[in-house]
Parts: sequence; C-alpha cells; structure tokens
Amino acid sequence: MKRTEYPVAIRELIAQLRQMPGVGPRSAERIALWIVQARNEQPAGIARAIASTRDTIRPCLQCGFFATADLCEICADDSRARELLCVVEQPTDILPLEKTSAFRGRYHSLGGRISPLDRVAPEDLRIASLVERVEKEAPSEIIFALAADVEGEATTNYLVALLKKYPVTLTRIAHGLPAGGGLESADELTLSRALAGRTRL
Amino acid sequence: MLRELQLRDFRCFASIAAEFSPGFNFIVGANGQGKTTLLEAACVLLRLQSQRSSSLAPAVRVGQRSFVVSGHVGEHRLQFYYRALRRKVAFDGVEQRDQAEYLRLVRVVSFASHDLELIRGPAEMRRRYLDFIGTQAEARYRPVLRAYERALRSRNALLKSPHPRPRELAAYTEPLVRAGTSLREMRAALVRRLAPFAEASHRAISGGHENLSLEYAPGSEEDFAAQLARTRTEEERLRLTIVGPHRDDLRLQVEAMPAAQFASEGQQRTTALALKLAQAQVFAEDTATPPLLLVDDIFGELDAARRNALLAHLPNESQKLVTATALDWRAGDWGGPVLELTDGEIRRRDK
Repeated sequence: MKRTEYPVAIRELIAQLRQMPGVGPRSAERIALWIVQARNEQPAGIARAIASTRDTIRPCLQCGFFATADLCEICADDSRARELLCVVEQPTDILPLEKTSAFRGRYHSLGGRISPLDRVAPEDLRIASLVERVEKEAPSEIIFALAADVEGEATTNYLVALLKKYPVTLTRIAHGLPAGGGLESADELTLSRALAGRTRL
Repeated sequence: MLRELQLRDFRCFASIAAEFSPGFNFIVGANGQGKTTLLEAACVLLRLQSQRSSSLAPAVRVGQRSFVVSGHVGEHRLQFYYRALRRKVAFDGVEQRDQAEYLRLVRVVSFASHDLELIRGPAEMRRRYLDFIGTQAEARYRPVLRAYERALRSRNALLKSPHPRPRELAAYTEPLVRAGTSLREMRAALVRRLAPFAEASHRAISGGHENLSLEYAPGSEEDFAAQLARTRTEEERLRLTIVGPHRDDLRLQVEAMPAAQFASEGQQRTTALALKLAQAQVFAEDTATPPLLLVDDIFGELDAARRNALLAHLPNESQKLVTATALDWRAGDWGGPVLELTDGEIRRRDK
C-alpha cells in the first residue's frame, strides 16, 4: 500500500528550509506547517523581508561590513578617526567590538583567514584592498583582532610581514583574563598567555 | 573510583551495564566476548579518547550513527555522547563546554599485550605514549599538541602546493616554532619524571638483574627556528617539514643496548610494563585520586615470577579492571568481584 505523505509543494518547502543553518528535519517540518497553516499575513511578511534584504544589503566597498549603500554606516561616519584601523576576520566580528564603544576608528574585514587546510589562500581574502587602504588613508596604527588560534596567528603574521614597510604602528589585541574574573577561575592556557603578554606598569 | 559503567551502541554492545568495586575487578570471558571493549569504554568515558585507536569513529556499533558511554565516579555522574562531528560531554547532567574540569576527575593507565609495540614499534608509538600521559598530567598539553599538529599540517600543505610561497610559509612557521618549542619542553620534563620510576620498576620486575635507561630524543634542536631555516632547501625537495617534535622519540636501552634490537622478548615485556608502571606512579604523585588501571589480558604471557612482581608493583590504592580468559592462575589474596561476560550479558560473583 502506498504511504501518504505531504503534497510535493510542502515537501519541497521542507527541503528548502533544511538548507538554513541550525534547522534540522524536525524544525523544518514545524516551520513549513506554520507557514502553510498561518491565518494571518506573517509568512508573506517574512518572504518580503527576505527578498528586500537580499536586494538592499551588500558588503561595504571599503571595509566589507554590511551596508545599504556603497559605504557602510561606519565608513561613512566622518566623526570616526581615520588614524586607527582595526583588522578582523569576518564582518560579524565588528559588532562585538562596536558594543565596547572603546574603539572609534575604522574597520577592515578580511572575509576569512589564510588556511591551507581549508584551501583558503591570501588571494581569497580582502588583503589587496587592505594594502590599498593603508596606502591611501595612511593610518597611524593598525590593530589586528583575529582569533587566538593557529590560523588567526598565521594570518596576522602574514599581514604584519606585508605591511611592515609602511610607516604605521602594527599592534595585536591582548589575550588575557576575562574582566572581573579571579585567577582561580581562569584556565591554565589563558593564564599562561596572560603571563606571557604582561604589561609594564 | 568508577562505580558503574553503561554502554549504548558501543562496538559489539547494543546495551550493557557493569558495576565495579574498589581494588581488583576481574572480567572473565571467552575470546570475542567484549572484555577489551569494556575496558575501552571505561577509558573513553574518563578520558574522552581510546587507548586502542586514535579515532573514536570505529567504536560506533555497526549500523548505528552514535554511541553513549556513561557511569558514576564517586557521587558524580559522567556521560559522553559521540557521533561523527558531534561530541557531548555531561558532568552531573550539565553539558560541559570546557572539558578541563571533567578530565581532572580520573586518570587512566592501560596495560595491554600490544604494549610491546612501545618497544618494537615505530617512534610514533612512543610519542603516543608520551602524549597520552601528557594530556592527562597537564591541562596545557592538549591545546599545545593540537596547535602544533594544526600548524604542521598547514605548513606541509603549503609545501606540497605546486609553488610554495615563502611569505605564507613564514606565517605558519612562527606558530609551529612556538607550539613546537613548548611541546619539546613539556615532553622533556615528562621523560625526566618518568625515567626514575621506569628504571626502578624494570630493575624490580627483573629481580634486580637488568638496568633500563630512558632518554628523550627530540626531533628538533634547541633553536628550532634556526634549524627550520637551515633545512628549507631540503624541505622544498621533500615537500615536508623534516624536523620538529613530530620526529621525537623515546630512547630505550636495556643493559646499555637499544631495547628494540637487542632485548629478548621477556625483557621487552618487562620494559613495557615498567613504562606503564612509571605512568601510574607519575599520576599517583600528581593527584590525590590514584589512577584507574586497565589491565587487558597480559597475565597469560608472563611467568609466575613476573606476574607476582607486576601485581606487587601495581599501586595498592588504585582501582583495577583486569581481563582474562580464565582465572585458574589466580592465587592468594587478590580478591575482588568476578564479572563473567557471555553473549552480551554480565554475571557478577562477589567473593
């Protein structure tokens, strides 16, 4: 006997939803049924939001952050210091830094890091445009805020070697203890890094 | 102490549970009943790695996609869930993001007949022995080892590309040197601690007749960076990083002769035991809780004198899980429960 399933349209919707990050087969089915059974306009609103976001959001031509025009809000803001440039891996890394309000310079997102094991070479990243910016904007300091792992460190090393010839101070954000945390709650690796990166008083 | 162990979809077992006592626990069964698997599950639960293989994927029962091992250590409940690309560790029902706390609980020493490979096998076996101890003895060891391996693989991938580019290579050389130097220091310190214990154990098990010596033979020089710079042309020819801790060895000599080539089979077995006993002693020295000893079917290969000497040297306070096909050799005062393993069922006899 043939087993009854959802109509093709619903099955197709479930298959499409499953391509979204974090959505498994069960969630995909629940979302699909909600879309089909909703009595208001919410599903249509979501569809419009997806379409219009796809149309209006693009990477900032200068730094790679999310933008609605050629330049993102940060790059277009004239009150921000041109002398400071902060290099990050992903555009999403900019938001946590912004939340600190401790940095009033500009950013440059590389769109990843050099990783031979994942077949990511320097040409795949926004490195040429970083060099161009350094030449054009002549910042006085470049701060590297990449991940504290092997790839993040190697990418930082690569960029430092590349930018050494420019008259600019190159710095890396510190690794260390979480604010408000006692020594006893820190793991040994963090603590040994904090020791290695101690600062003069 | 490991009070209780449960397996689900782990190797040959769909589901099985066992209870253990302090001191000796004997697991008895015919070949192929899963005695070694029980010991492996204990190791996987407590150390999140197998003493048998470097990957956990083969431990998933055929036809299944995941396994669970769980159990009680003292009052704490531990659980480890594994499936390809997903591992979940829970301590008292709370999922752990940082495994350091969990791994601090119990250390493990495994004795098995393939320990002979430590003496006869390639240097990789001895590096794995050191790493297995290092990751248990020091929280910093595992992240440094992982960073070294990652930097090494990345660097080798660059060297293998059709036109290796010096600047990318240099970017990866720096983390390689840093992790490599730390790893070398940690392994050297580890061997310094193991050597006196191993040498004393070997002398005792051999009845005071033989002398073992242990020496760390690093695969890189003190100035690792300078050595890498010197070997660049050779690296380009072989398309590999040719010096570094991935070439380390542990030099073993019995009566001042290399143990792999010159020691007899009996001497080699003694040396393997001495290395494992030294591991147990280093752990015992480090922590208040003595290590759990997994002894997998090695009594059959030892003569009565060495068997007794070994038992006399196992740390008294340690809990021991011992497997054997039969127990007729068991004499005297090594009491403890016997767990009979037949057709996927455990029958426990206390005495």
